[in-house]
Amino acid sequence: MTDGAASTMGDLFANLSIFKDAIWVGGLAGALLGFIGVHIVLRRMVFASSAIAQAAALGVALSFWISAVVDPARHAAGHIAGPAAHLAPSLLFEPVLWAIAASLAATLVFIANPTHLHLTRESLLGFVFLASGAGAVIVGDKITQEAHDLNAILFGSAVVVQSMDLYLVAGATVLLLGGHVALWRALLFVGYDPMGAYVQGMPVRALNAFLFLSVGLAVALCTRALGALPVFAFSVLPAMAALALTARIGAVFVLALVLGAASGVGGYVVSFGADLPVGATQTATAVALLAAALTWRFARSRYERSARARTASAPRTDAA
Amino acid sequence: MLPPGERLLRADGLVVGYDRTPILPPLSATIGAGELWAVIGPNGSGKSTFVRTALGLVKPLGGVVERKPGARLAYVPQQSMLDAIFPISVIDFVLMGLQGPRNVSLWRAGHGLADARAALDVAGARAFERKQLRDLSGGQRQRVLIARALATDADLIFLDEPTAALDATAEHEVLELIERLRGKRGAAVVMVTHLVEDGLERADRALLLDRDRGVALAATAREIRSAPEFAHVYGRFVGRGGVDA
Repeated sequence: MTDGAASTMGDLFANLSIFKDAIWVGGLAGALLGFIGVHIVLRRMVFASSAIAQAAALGVALSFWISAVVDPARHAAGHIAGPAAHLAPSLLFEPVLWAIAASLAATLVFIANPTHLHLTRESLLGFVFLASGAGAVIVGDKITQEAHDLNAILFGSAVVVQSMDLYLVAGATVLLLGGHVALWRALLFVGYDPMGAYVQGMPVRALNAFLFLSVGLAVALCTRALGALPVFAFSVLPAMAALALTARIGAVFVLALVLGAASGVGGYVVSFGADLPVGATQTATAVALLAAALTWRFARSRYERSARARTASAPRTDAA
Repeated sequence: MLPPGERLLRADGLVVGYDRTPILPPLSATIGAGELWAVIGPNGSGKSTFVRTALGLVKPLGGVVERKPGARLAYVPQQSMLDAIFPISVIDFVLMGLQGPRNVSLWRAGHGLADARAALDVAGARAFERKQLRDLSGGQRQRVLIARALATDADLIFLDEPTAALDATAEHEVLELIERLRGKRGAAVVMVTHLVEDGLERADRALLLDRDRGVALAATAREIRSAPEFAHVYGRFVGRGGVDA
Protein backbone atom coordinates (compact mmCIF):
# COMPACT_ATOMS: atom_id res chain seq x y z
CA MET A 1 0.00 0.00 0.00
CA THR A 2 1.37 3.43 -0.90
CA ASP A 3 1.60 6.28 1.55
CA GLY A 4 -1.20 8.00 -0.29
CA ALA A 5 -3.38 4.96 -0.05
CA ALA A 6 -2.49 4.52 3.62
CA SER A 7 -3.49 8.07 4.38
CA THR A 8 -6.72 7.53 2.44
CA MET A 9 -7.49 4.49 4.55
CA GLY A 10 -6.63 6.58 7.57
CA ASP A 11 -9.17 9.13 6.37
CA LEU A 12 -11.78 6.41 6.20
CA PHE A 13 -11.30 5.37 9.81
CA ALA A 14 -10.86 8.94 11.04
CA ASN A 15 -14.16 9.92 9.41
CA LEU A 16 -16.01 6.69 9.97
CA SER A 17 -19.04 8.54 11.29
CA ILE A 18 -19.51 10.07 7.82
CA PHE A 19 -18.96 6.90 5.83
CA LYS A 20 -20.41 4.27 8.15
CA ASP A 21 -23.91 4.58 6.66
CA ALA A 22 -22.57 3.70 3.21
CA ILE A 23 -20.63 0.75 4.68
CA TRP A 24 -23.73 -0.49 6.49
CA VAL A 25 -25.84 -0.18 3.33
CA GLY A 26 -23.24 -2.13 1.35
CA GLY A 27 -23.12 -4.90 3.96
CA LEU A 28 -26.89 -5.14 4.45
CA ALA A 29 -27.68 -5.03 0.73
CA GLY A 30 -25.01 -7.64 0.04
CA ALA A 31 -26.39 -9.93 2.75
CA LEU A 32 -30.04 -9.53 1.68
CA LEU A 33 -29.42 -9.87 -2.04
CA GLY A 34 -26.88 -12.65 -1.49
CA PHE A 35 -29.46 -14.75 0.35
CA ILE A 36 -32.30 -14.06 -2.10
CA GLY A 37 -29.83 -14.56 -4.96
CA VAL A 38 -29.65 -18.30 -4.26
CA HIS A 39 -33.25 -18.62 -5.46
CA ILE A 40 -32.53 -16.27 -8.37
CA VAL A 41 -29.59 -18.39 -9.55
CA LEU A 42 -31.22 -21.78 -8.94
CA ARG A 43 -34.43 -20.75 -10.74
CA ARG A 44 -32.37 -19.53 -13.71
CA MET A 45 -33.76 -16.00 -13.48
CA VAL A 46 -30.39 -14.24 -13.23
CA PHE A 47 -31.28 -11.56 -15.72
CA ALA A 48 -34.52 -10.81 -13.91
CA SER A 49 -32.59 -8.95 -11.20
CA SER A 50 -30.59 -7.11 -13.85
CA ALA A 51 -33.75 -6.04 -15.69
CA ILE A 52 -35.47 -5.05 -12.44
CA ALA A 53 -32.43 -3.02 -11.34
CA GLN A 54 -32.44 -1.23 -14.69
CA ALA A 55 -36.15 -0.52 -14.27
CA ALA A 56 -35.47 0.89 -10.78
CA ALA A 57 -32.80 3.16 -12.25
CA LEU A 58 -35.26 4.35 -14.89
CA GLY A 59 -37.78 5.03 -12.13
CA VAL A 60 -35.30 7.26 -10.31
CA ALA A 61 -34.39 9.09 -13.53
CA LEU A 62 -38.07 9.65 -14.27
CA SER A 63 -38.61 11.06 -10.78
CA PHE A 64 -35.92 13.69 -11.47
CA TRP A 65 -37.17 14.52 -14.94
CA ILE A 66 -40.90 14.64 -14.24
CA SER A 67 -40.44 16.81 -11.16
CA ALA A 68 -38.45 19.25 -13.33
CA VAL A 69 -41.15 19.24 -16.02
CA VAL A 70 -44.20 19.44 -13.74
CA ASP A 71 -42.89 21.90 -11.18
CA PRO A 72 -39.69 23.50 -12.54
CA ALA A 73 -39.59 26.41 -10.05
CA ARG A 74 -39.83 24.20 -7.00
CA HIS A 75 -37.46 21.68 -8.55
CA ALA A 76 -34.83 24.40 -9.13
CA ALA A 77 -35.35 25.76 -5.62
CA GLY A 78 -34.94 22.32 -4.20
CA HIS A 79 -31.79 21.80 -6.20
CA ILE A 80 -30.29 25.03 -4.88
CA ALA A 81 -31.22 24.01 -1.33
CA GLY A 82 -28.81 21.08 -1.40
CA PRO A 83 -28.49 17.40 -2.25
CA ALA A 84 -31.07 16.12 0.20
CA ALA A 85 -33.66 18.63 -0.95
CA HIS A 86 -33.10 18.48 -4.69
CA LEU A 87 -33.66 14.77 -4.73
CA ALA A 88 -37.14 15.10 -3.25
CA PRO A 89 -38.90 18.42 -3.89
CA SER A 90 -42.11 16.68 -2.83
CA LEU A 91 -43.13 13.23 -1.70
CA LEU A 92 -44.77 12.63 -5.08
CA PHE A 93 -41.38 12.84 -6.76
CA GLU A 94 -39.49 10.87 -4.12
CA PRO A 95 -37.02 8.79 -6.19
CA VAL A 96 -37.31 5.72 -4.00
CA LEU A 97 -41.06 5.54 -4.63
CA TRP A 98 -40.49 5.73 -8.37
CA ALA A 99 -37.78 3.09 -8.09
CA ILE A 100 -40.16 0.77 -6.21
CA ALA A 101 -43.01 1.42 -8.66
CA ALA A 102 -40.80 0.75 -11.69
CA SER A 103 -39.31 -2.37 -10.08
CA LEU A 104 -42.69 -3.80 -9.22
CA ALA A 105 -43.94 -3.07 -12.75
CA ALA A 106 -40.92 -4.95 -14.11
CA THR A 107 -41.60 -7.76 -11.63
CA LEU A 108 -45.17 -8.05 -12.90
CA VAL A 109 -43.82 -8.43 -16.42
CA PHE A 110 -41.62 -11.22 -15.12
CA ILE A 111 -44.52 -12.95 -13.36
CA ALA A 112 -46.70 -12.72 -16.48
CA ASN A 113 -47.02 -15.82 -18.62
CA PRO A 114 -46.10 -14.76 -22.17
CA THR A 115 -46.76 -18.11 -23.85
CA HIS A 116 -50.05 -16.80 -25.27
CA LEU A 117 -47.96 -14.23 -27.16
CA HIS A 118 -45.67 -17.03 -28.32
CA LEU A 119 -42.84 -15.41 -26.40
CA THR A 120 -40.54 -16.67 -23.67
CA ARG A 121 -40.08 -15.06 -20.28
CA GLU A 122 -36.42 -14.40 -21.17
CA SER A 123 -37.45 -12.38 -24.20
CA LEU A 124 -39.73 -10.23 -22.02
CA LEU A 125 -36.83 -9.71 -19.61
CA GLY A 126 -34.70 -8.58 -22.55
CA PHE A 127 -37.45 -6.13 -23.47
CA VAL A 128 -37.60 -4.74 -19.91
CA PHE A 129 -33.80 -4.47 -19.67
CA LEU A 130 -33.38 -2.70 -23.00
CA ALA A 131 -36.38 -0.41 -22.61
CA SER A 132 -35.27 0.56 -19.10
CA GLY A 133 -31.61 1.01 -20.07
CA ALA A 134 -32.42 3.12 -23.11
CA GLY A 135 -35.04 5.07 -21.17
CA ALA A 136 -32.63 5.86 -18.32
CA VAL A 137 -29.98 7.15 -20.76
CA ILE A 138 -32.50 9.23 -22.74
CA VAL A 139 -34.10 10.69 -19.62
CA GLY A 140 -30.64 11.27 -18.18
CA ASP A 141 -29.77 13.31 -21.25
CA LYS A 142 -32.75 15.57 -20.52
CA ILE A 143 -31.73 16.31 -16.96
CA THR A 144 -28.46 18.07 -16.41
CA GLN A 145 -28.56 19.04 -12.75
CA GLU A 146 -28.91 15.48 -11.46
CA ALA A 147 -26.73 13.81 -14.10
CA HIS A 148 -24.17 12.93 -11.43
CA ASP A 149 -26.87 11.42 -9.19
CA LEU A 150 -28.20 9.38 -12.09
CA ASN A 151 -24.71 8.13 -12.88
CA ALA A 152 -24.39 7.09 -9.24
CA ILE A 153 -27.67 5.16 -9.48
CA LEU A 154 -26.70 3.37 -12.68
CA PHE A 155 -23.16 2.42 -11.71
CA GLY A 156 -23.01 2.94 -7.95
CA SER A 157 -20.41 5.66 -7.57
CA ALA A 158 -21.90 7.26 -4.46
CA VAL A 159 -19.38 7.48 -1.61
CA VAL A 160 -22.01 8.54 0.93
CA VAL A 161 -25.64 7.54 1.18
CA GLN A 162 -28.58 9.36 2.68
CA SER A 163 -29.72 8.28 6.13
CA MET A 164 -33.16 7.51 4.72
CA ASP A 165 -31.59 5.00 2.31
CA LEU A 166 -29.89 3.26 5.21
CA TYR A 167 -33.16 3.07 7.15
CA LEU A 168 -35.02 1.71 4.13
CA VAL A 169 -32.37 -0.88 3.29
CA ALA A 170 -32.09 -1.90 6.96
CA GLY A 171 -35.87 -2.22 7.27
CA ALA A 172 -36.06 -4.24 4.06
CA THR A 173 -33.24 -6.48 5.25
CA VAL A 174 -34.96 -7.24 8.56
CA LEU A 175 -38.39 -7.87 7.01
CA LEU A 176 -37.48 -9.58 3.75
CA LEU A 177 -34.53 -11.56 5.07
CA GLY A 178 -36.67 -12.66 8.03
CA GLY A 179 -39.35 -13.86 5.63
CA HIS A 180 -36.82 -15.63 3.45
CA VAL A 181 -35.14 -17.35 6.40
CA ALA A 182 -38.53 -18.59 7.59
CA LEU A 183 -39.60 -19.78 4.14
CA TRP A 184 -36.36 -20.99 2.57
CA ARG A 185 -37.38 -24.66 2.47
CA ALA A 186 -40.83 -23.82 1.11
CA LEU A 187 -39.41 -21.57 -1.63
CA LEU A 188 -36.85 -24.24 -2.48
CA PHE A 189 -39.54 -26.94 -2.83
CA VAL A 190 -41.72 -24.71 -5.00
CA GLY A 191 -38.77 -23.79 -7.22
CA TYR A 192 -37.43 -27.33 -7.53
CA ASP A 193 -40.63 -29.30 -8.04
CA PRO A 194 -43.58 -26.93 -8.52
CA MET A 195 -46.02 -29.68 -9.53
CA GLY A 196 -45.13 -31.85 -6.55
CA ALA A 197 -45.46 -28.85 -4.25
CA TYR A 198 -48.86 -27.92 -5.70
CA VAL A 199 -50.18 -31.45 -5.39
CA GLN A 200 -49.10 -31.60 -1.74
CA GLY A 201 -51.15 -28.47 -1.05
CA MET A 202 -48.30 -25.96 -0.82
CA PRO A 203 -49.41 -22.35 -1.52
CA VAL A 204 -47.32 -22.21 -4.68
CA ARG A 205 -48.71 -18.96 -6.07
CA ALA A 206 -48.42 -17.12 -2.76
CA LEU A 207 -44.85 -18.32 -2.27
CA ASN A 208 -43.85 -17.32 -5.80
CA ALA A 209 -45.54 -13.94 -5.34
CA PHE A 210 -43.56 -13.43 -2.12
CA LEU A 211 -40.31 -14.32 -3.87
CA PHE A 212 -40.87 -12.09 -6.89
CA LEU A 213 -42.17 -9.14 -4.87
CA SER A 214 -39.31 -9.43 -2.39
CA VAL A 215 -36.84 -9.46 -5.30
CA GLY A 216 -38.53 -6.37 -6.78
CA LEU A 217 -38.59 -4.51 -3.47
CA ALA A 218 -35.05 -5.44 -2.43
CA VAL A 219 -33.64 -4.55 -5.85
CA ALA A 220 -35.51 -1.22 -5.92
CA LEU A 221 -34.39 -0.08 -2.48
CA CYS A 222 -30.82 -1.26 -2.92
CA THR A 223 -30.56 0.23 -6.42
CA ARG A 224 -31.65 3.62 -5.07
CA ALA A 225 -28.96 3.41 -2.39
CA LEU A 226 -26.11 1.65 -4.20
CA GLY A 227 -26.73 1.65 -7.95
CA ALA A 228 -27.85 -0.92 -10.51
CA LEU A 229 -24.43 -2.49 -11.16
CA PRO A 230 -23.56 -3.65 -7.61
CA VAL A 231 -27.17 -4.66 -6.98
CA PHE A 232 -27.10 -6.99 -9.98
CA ALA A 233 -23.72 -8.30 -8.82
CA PHE A 234 -24.90 -8.96 -5.24
CA SER A 235 -27.99 -10.80 -6.43
CA VAL A 236 -26.01 -13.24 -8.58
CA LEU A 237 -22.30 -13.58 -7.75
CA PRO A 238 -22.35 -14.50 -4.01
CA ALA A 239 -24.93 -17.22 -4.69
CA MET A 240 -22.79 -18.59 -7.54
CA ALA A 241 -19.72 -18.61 -5.27
CA ALA A 242 -21.65 -20.36 -2.48
CA LEU A 243 -22.92 -23.01 -4.90
CA ALA A 244 -19.33 -23.58 -6.04
CA LEU A 245 -18.09 -23.96 -2.46
CA THR A 246 -20.65 -26.37 -1.04
CA ALA A 247 -23.45 -28.72 -2.07
CA ARG A 248 -25.22 -28.54 1.29
CA ILE A 249 -28.23 -26.40 0.53
CA GLY A 250 -28.54 -24.85 3.99
CA ALA A 251 -24.86 -23.89 3.93
CA VAL A 252 -25.30 -22.40 0.44
CA PHE A 253 -27.76 -19.82 1.82
CA VAL A 254 -25.53 -18.93 4.79
CA LEU A 255 -22.41 -18.66 2.60
CA ALA A 256 -24.20 -16.52 0.01
CA LEU A 257 -25.32 -14.14 2.76
CA VAL A 258 -21.79 -13.87 4.21
CA LEU A 259 -20.10 -13.46 0.80
CA GLY A 260 -22.65 -10.83 -0.21
CA ALA A 261 -22.04 -8.82 2.96
CA ALA A 262 -18.27 -9.23 2.52
CA SER A 263 -18.51 -7.94 -1.06
CA GLY A 264 -20.49 -4.89 0.03
CA VAL A 265 -18.27 -3.93 2.97
CA GLY A 266 -14.98 -5.11 1.51
CA GLY A 267 -15.67 -3.45 -1.83
CA TYR A 268 -16.38 -0.14 -0.15
CA VAL A 269 -13.21 -0.25 1.96
CA VAL A 270 -11.07 -1.23 -1.06
CA SER A 271 -12.61 1.51 -3.19
CA PHE A 272 -11.80 4.05 -0.50
CA GLY A 273 -8.24 2.83 -0.06
CA ALA A 274 -7.49 2.58 -3.78
CA ASP A 275 -9.56 5.63 -4.77
CA LEU A 276 -11.80 3.62 -7.10
CA PRO A 277 -15.51 3.92 -7.95
CA VAL A 278 -17.54 2.32 -5.14
CA GLY A 279 -20.11 0.28 -7.11
CA ALA A 280 -17.59 -1.05 -9.60
CA THR A 281 -15.20 -2.03 -6.79
CA GLN A 282 -17.97 -3.77 -4.85
CA THR A 283 -18.83 -5.66 -8.03
CA ALA A 284 -15.15 -6.49 -8.62
CA THR A 285 -14.87 -7.76 -5.04
CA ALA A 286 -17.83 -10.11 -5.61
CA VAL A 287 -16.22 -11.22 -8.89
CA ALA A 288 -12.91 -11.89 -7.08
CA LEU A 289 -14.67 -13.97 -4.41
CA LEU A 290 -16.45 -15.96 -7.12
CA ALA A 291 -13.17 -16.48 -8.99
CA ALA A 292 -11.55 -17.74 -5.78
CA ALA A 293 -14.48 -20.08 -5.13
CA LEU A 294 -14.38 -21.47 -8.67
CA THR A 295 -10.59 -21.96 -8.44
CA TRP A 296 -11.02 -23.85 -5.16
CA ARG A 297 -13.81 -25.93 -6.72
CA PHE A 298 -11.70 -26.74 -9.77
CA ALA A 299 -8.69 -27.72 -7.63
CA ARG A 300 -10.84 -29.89 -5.39
CA SER A 301 -12.45 -31.65 -8.36
CA ARG A 302 -9.04 -32.43 -9.82
CA TYR A 303 -7.80 -33.73 -6.46
CA GLU A 304 -10.88 -35.95 -6.05
CA ARG A 305 -10.54 -37.29 -9.60
CA SER A 306 -6.87 -38.15 -9.11
CA ALA A 307 -7.64 -39.75 -5.71
CA ARG A 308 -10.30 -41.93 -7.36
CA ALA A 309 -7.88 -42.85 -10.14
CA ARG A 310 -5.20 -43.81 -7.57
CA THR A 311 -7.70 -45.97 -5.68
CA ALA A 312 -8.83 -47.67 -8.88
CA SER A 313 -5.26 -48.45 -10.01
CA ALA A 314 -3.94 -49.56 -6.60
CA PRO A 315 -2.98 -53.28 -6.47
CA ARG A 316 -5.51 -55.42 -4.62
CA THR A 317 -4.10 -56.82 -1.39
CA ASP A 318 -6.93 -59.11 -0.37
CA ALA A 319 -5.84 -62.75 -0.42
CA ALA A 320 -7.63 -65.00 -2.85
CA MET B 1 -55.51 -48.00 6.65
CA LEU B 2 -58.08 -46.93 4.05
CA PRO B 3 -60.99 -49.31 3.45
CA PRO B 4 -60.24 -51.16 0.16
CA GLY B 5 -62.11 -49.66 -2.76
CA GLU B 6 -63.09 -46.46 -0.91
CA ARG B 7 -63.64 -43.79 -3.56
CA LEU B 8 -60.71 -41.37 -3.62
CA LEU B 9 -61.17 -39.70 -6.99
CA ARG B 10 -64.07 -39.67 -9.43
CA ALA B 11 -64.04 -38.29 -12.96
CA ASP B 12 -67.47 -37.99 -14.53
CA GLY B 13 -67.73 -36.96 -18.17
CA LEU B 14 -64.33 -35.34 -17.81
CA VAL B 15 -63.17 -33.43 -20.89
CA VAL B 16 -59.50 -32.48 -20.93
CA GLY B 17 -57.65 -30.14 -23.27
CA TYR B 18 -55.93 -26.81 -23.67
CA ASP B 19 -57.07 -23.40 -24.90
CA ARG B 20 -60.73 -24.50 -24.86
CA THR B 21 -59.92 -27.30 -27.30
CA PRO B 22 -60.74 -30.83 -26.10
CA ILE B 23 -58.10 -33.40 -26.96
CA LEU B 24 -59.90 -36.53 -25.77
CA PRO B 25 -63.50 -37.80 -25.66
CA PRO B 26 -65.34 -37.44 -22.31
CA LEU B 27 -63.95 -39.82 -19.72
CA SER B 28 -65.47 -41.37 -16.61
CA ALA B 29 -63.53 -43.33 -14.01
CA THR B 30 -63.49 -43.92 -10.27
CA ILE B 31 -60.23 -44.56 -8.45
CA GLY B 32 -60.59 -46.53 -5.25
CA ALA B 33 -58.27 -47.12 -2.31
CA GLY B 34 -55.69 -49.86 -2.84
CA GLU B 35 -56.04 -49.85 -6.63
CA LEU B 36 -53.12 -49.66 -9.03
CA TRP B 37 -53.97 -47.87 -12.28
CA ALA B 38 -51.85 -47.81 -15.42
CA VAL B 39 -52.35 -44.85 -17.73
CA ILE B 40 -51.20 -45.99 -21.17
CA GLY B 41 -51.17 -44.57 -24.66
CA PRO B 42 -48.74 -43.53 -27.38
CA ASN B 43 -46.53 -40.45 -27.04
CA GLY B 44 -48.62 -37.28 -27.17
CA SER B 45 -51.81 -39.21 -26.47
CA GLY B 46 -52.98 -36.90 -23.67
CA LYS B 47 -51.70 -38.88 -20.66
CA SER B 48 -49.97 -35.91 -19.05
CA THR B 49 -52.93 -33.62 -19.74
CA PHE B 50 -55.24 -36.11 -18.04
CA VAL B 51 -52.95 -36.34 -15.00
CA ARG B 52 -52.57 -32.56 -14.76
CA THR B 53 -56.33 -32.17 -14.92
CA ALA B 54 -56.96 -34.88 -12.33
CA LEU B 55 -54.46 -33.20 -10.02
CA GLY B 56 -56.15 -29.81 -10.42
CA LEU B 57 -53.28 -28.17 -12.29
CA VAL B 58 -55.38 -27.71 -15.43
CA LYS B 59 -59.08 -26.83 -15.41
CA PRO B 60 -61.33 -29.41 -17.06
CA LEU B 61 -63.14 -28.25 -20.18
CA GLY B 62 -66.20 -30.23 -19.17
CA GLY B 63 -67.46 -32.72 -16.63
CA VAL B 64 -66.23 -32.93 -13.07
CA VAL B 65 -63.31 -34.25 -11.05
CA GLU B 66 -64.17 -34.97 -7.43
CA ARG B 67 -61.60 -35.86 -4.82
CA LYS B 68 -62.47 -37.34 -1.46
CA PRO B 69 -62.54 -34.41 0.98
CA GLY B 70 -59.31 -34.30 2.94
CA ALA B 71 -57.61 -36.88 0.73
CA ARG B 72 -53.85 -36.42 0.62
CA LEU B 73 -52.23 -36.49 -2.80
CA ALA B 74 -48.64 -36.98 -3.88
CA TYR B 75 -46.97 -36.61 -7.24
CA VAL B 76 -43.79 -38.33 -8.36
CA PRO B 77 -42.35 -36.33 -11.28
CA GLN B 78 -40.30 -37.61 -14.15
CA GLN B 79 -36.63 -37.52 -13.25
CA SER B 80 -35.94 -35.24 -16.18
CA MET B 81 -38.24 -32.61 -14.68
CA LEU B 82 -35.92 -32.08 -11.71
CA ASP B 83 -33.24 -29.49 -12.43
CA ALA B 84 -29.77 -30.88 -11.65
CA ILE B 85 -28.48 -27.39 -10.85
CA PHE B 86 -30.23 -27.62 -7.45
CA PRO B 87 -27.93 -29.11 -4.77
CA ILE B 88 -30.60 -31.24 -3.10
CA SER B 89 -29.48 -34.12 -0.90
CA VAL B 90 -31.51 -37.30 -0.76
CA ILE B 91 -32.69 -36.63 2.80
CA ASP B 92 -33.65 -33.02 1.95
CA PHE B 93 -35.67 -34.29 -1.01
CA VAL B 94 -37.57 -36.81 1.07
CA LEU B 95 -38.19 -34.16 3.75
CA MET B 96 -40.10 -32.20 1.08
CA GLY B 97 -42.69 -34.94 1.31
CA LEU B 98 -43.51 -33.76 4.82
CA GLN B 99 -44.33 -30.22 3.63
CA GLY B 100 -47.90 -29.22 2.96
CA PRO B 101 -50.59 -26.70 3.88
CA ARG B 102 -50.13 -27.41 7.60
CA ASN B 103 -46.36 -27.43 7.46
CA VAL B 104 -45.33 -24.99 4.75
CA SER B 105 -41.97 -23.92 6.09
CA LEU B 106 -40.85 -27.24 7.65
CA TRP B 107 -39.13 -25.00 10.17
CA ARG B 108 -38.25 -27.89 12.46
CA ALA B 109 -36.95 -30.31 9.84
CA GLY B 110 -35.29 -32.42 12.52
CA HIS B 111 -38.70 -33.57 13.75
CA GLY B 112 -39.40 -35.20 10.40
CA LEU B 113 -36.07 -36.97 10.03
CA ALA B 114 -37.35 -40.24 11.50
CA ASP B 115 -40.28 -40.32 9.06
CA ALA B 116 -38.03 -39.46 6.11
CA ARG B 117 -35.54 -42.19 7.05
CA ALA B 118 -38.32 -44.73 7.48
CA ALA B 119 -39.52 -43.93 3.94
CA LEU B 120 -35.98 -44.33 2.64
CA ASP B 121 -35.74 -47.69 4.40
CA VAL B 122 -38.90 -48.93 2.68
CA ALA B 123 -37.59 -47.72 -0.68
CA GLY B 124 -34.18 -49.33 -0.08
CA ALA B 125 -32.48 -45.96 -0.41
CA ARG B 126 -31.34 -45.27 3.16
CA ALA B 127 -27.68 -45.97 2.31
CA PHE B 128 -27.33 -42.81 0.23
CA GLU B 129 -29.36 -40.36 2.30
CA ARG B 130 -26.46 -37.88 2.45
CA LYS B 131 -25.68 -38.06 -1.27
CA GLN B 132 -26.84 -35.53 -3.80
CA LEU B 133 -29.93 -36.60 -5.73
CA ARG B 134 -28.25 -35.54 -8.99
CA ASP B 135 -25.29 -37.86 -8.33
CA LEU B 136 -27.37 -41.06 -8.12
CA SER B 137 -28.01 -43.57 -10.89
CA GLY B 138 -31.43 -43.52 -12.57
CA GLY B 139 -32.72 -46.50 -10.58
CA GLN B 140 -31.46 -45.15 -7.25
CA ARG B 141 -32.95 -41.74 -7.98
CA GLN B 142 -36.33 -43.25 -8.83
CA ARG B 143 -36.36 -45.11 -5.51
CA VAL B 144 -35.71 -41.80 -3.72
CA LEU B 145 -38.54 -40.14 -5.64
CA ILE B 146 -40.86 -42.90 -4.53
CA ALA B 147 -39.54 -42.59 -0.96
CA ARG B 148 -40.77 -39.00 -0.92
CA ALA B 149 -44.22 -40.20 -1.96
CA LEU B 150 -44.08 -42.69 0.90
CA ALA B 151 -43.13 -39.92 3.32
CA THR B 152 -46.20 -37.87 2.32
CA ASP B 153 -48.42 -40.64 3.67
CA ALA B 154 -50.68 -39.87 0.71
CA ASP B 155 -53.98 -41.58 -0.08
CA LEU B 156 -53.55 -41.16 -3.82
CA ILE B 157 -50.16 -41.17 -5.55
CA PHE B 158 -49.55 -40.20 -9.17
CA LEU B 159 -46.32 -41.34 -10.84
CA ASP B 160 -45.23 -39.86 -14.16
CA GLU B 161 -43.23 -42.34 -16.27
CA PRO B 162 -41.41 -43.87 -13.27
CA THR B 163 -39.49 -46.32 -15.45
CA ALA B 164 -38.38 -43.91 -18.16
CA ALA B 165 -34.69 -44.25 -19.05
CA LEU B 166 -34.07 -47.15 -16.63
CA ASP B 167 -32.29 -50.38 -17.47
CA ALA B 168 -34.19 -53.66 -17.20
CA THR B 169 -33.02 -54.46 -13.66
CA ALA B 170 -33.80 -51.02 -12.27
CA GLU B 171 -37.14 -51.07 -14.13
CA HIS B 172 -38.11 -54.32 -12.41
CA GLU B 173 -37.05 -53.02 -8.97
CA VAL B 174 -39.02 -49.81 -9.39
CA LEU B 175 -42.16 -51.63 -10.53
CA GLU B 176 -41.89 -53.91 -7.48
CA LEU B 177 -41.56 -50.86 -5.26
CA ILE B 178 -44.60 -49.21 -6.86
CA GLU B 179 -46.67 -52.27 -6.03
CA ARG B 180 -45.54 -51.90 -2.42
CA LEU B 181 -46.69 -48.26 -2.40
CA ARG B 182 -50.32 -49.24 -2.22
CA GLY B 183 -49.63 -51.67 0.59
CA LYS B 184 -48.94 -48.72 2.83
CA ARG B 185 -52.24 -47.36 4.18
CA GLY B 186 -54.04 -48.89 1.23
CA ALA B 187 -53.21 -45.93 -0.98
CA ALA B 188 -54.27 -45.83 -4.64
CA VAL B 189 -51.52 -45.51 -7.22
CA VAL B 190 -51.90 -44.04 -10.70
CA MET B 191 -48.90 -44.71 -12.92
CA VAL B 192 -48.37 -43.11 -16.31
CA THR B 193 -46.22 -45.57 -18.21
CA HIS B 194 -44.89 -46.40 -21.64
CA LEU B 195 -44.43 -50.03 -20.54
CA VAL B 196 -47.78 -51.28 -21.78
CA GLU B 197 -47.25 -55.00 -21.12
CA ASP B 198 -45.74 -54.57 -17.65
CA GLY B 199 -48.25 -51.88 -16.77
CA LEU B 200 -51.26 -54.01 -17.68
CA GLU B 201 -49.77 -57.06 -16.01
CA ARG B 202 -49.33 -55.35 -12.66
CA ALA B 203 -52.27 -52.93 -12.67
CA ASP B 204 -55.81 -53.68 -11.51
CA ARG B 205 -57.28 -51.10 -13.83
CA ALA B 206 -56.08 -49.06 -16.74
CA LEU B 207 -56.80 -45.97 -18.71
CA LEU B 208 -56.13 -46.15 -22.45
CA LEU B 209 -55.77 -42.76 -24.12
CA ASP B 210 -55.07 -41.78 -27.71
CA ARG B 211 -55.98 -38.31 -28.91
CA ASP B 212 -55.25 -39.14 -32.56
CA ARG B 213 -57.76 -42.01 -32.60
CA GLY B 214 -60.22 -40.39 -30.19
CA VAL B 215 -59.82 -43.08 -27.54
CA ALA B 216 -60.39 -42.54 -23.79
CA LEU B 217 -61.23 -45.85 -22.17
CA ALA B 218 -61.21 -46.76 -18.46
CA ALA B 219 -61.65 -50.41 -17.47
CA THR B 220 -59.95 -53.31 -15.74
CA ALA B 221 -56.53 -54.18 -17.12
CA ARG B 222 -57.91 -57.45 -18.50
CA GLU B 223 -60.79 -55.64 -20.26
CA ILE B 224 -58.44 -53.06 -21.71
CA ARG B 225 -56.20 -55.76 -23.16
CA SER B 226 -59.12 -57.39 -24.96
CA ALA B 227 -60.85 -54.15 -25.99
CA PRO B 228 -61.04 -53.36 -29.73
CA GLU B 229 -59.63 -49.91 -28.95
CA PHE B 230 -56.46 -51.53 -27.56
CA ALA B 231 -55.97 -53.50 -30.77
CA HIS B 232 -56.76 -50.34 -32.70
CA VAL B 233 -54.06 -48.36 -30.86
CA TYR B 234 -51.43 -51.09 -30.45
CA GLY B 235 -52.65 -53.62 -33.01
CA ARG B 236 -49.63 -53.70 -35.23
CA PHE B 237 -47.36 -54.42 -32.23
CA VAL B 238 -49.46 -57.16 -30.57
CA GLY B 239 -47.81 -60.54 -30.78
CA ARG B 240 -44.40 -59.15 -31.75
CA GLY B 241 -42.80 -59.53 -28.35
CA GLY B 242 -44.31 -56.62 -26.50
CA VAL B 243 -46.01 -53.31 -27.01
CA ASP B 244 -43.82 -50.96 -25.07
CA ALA B 245 -44.74 -47.61 -26.54
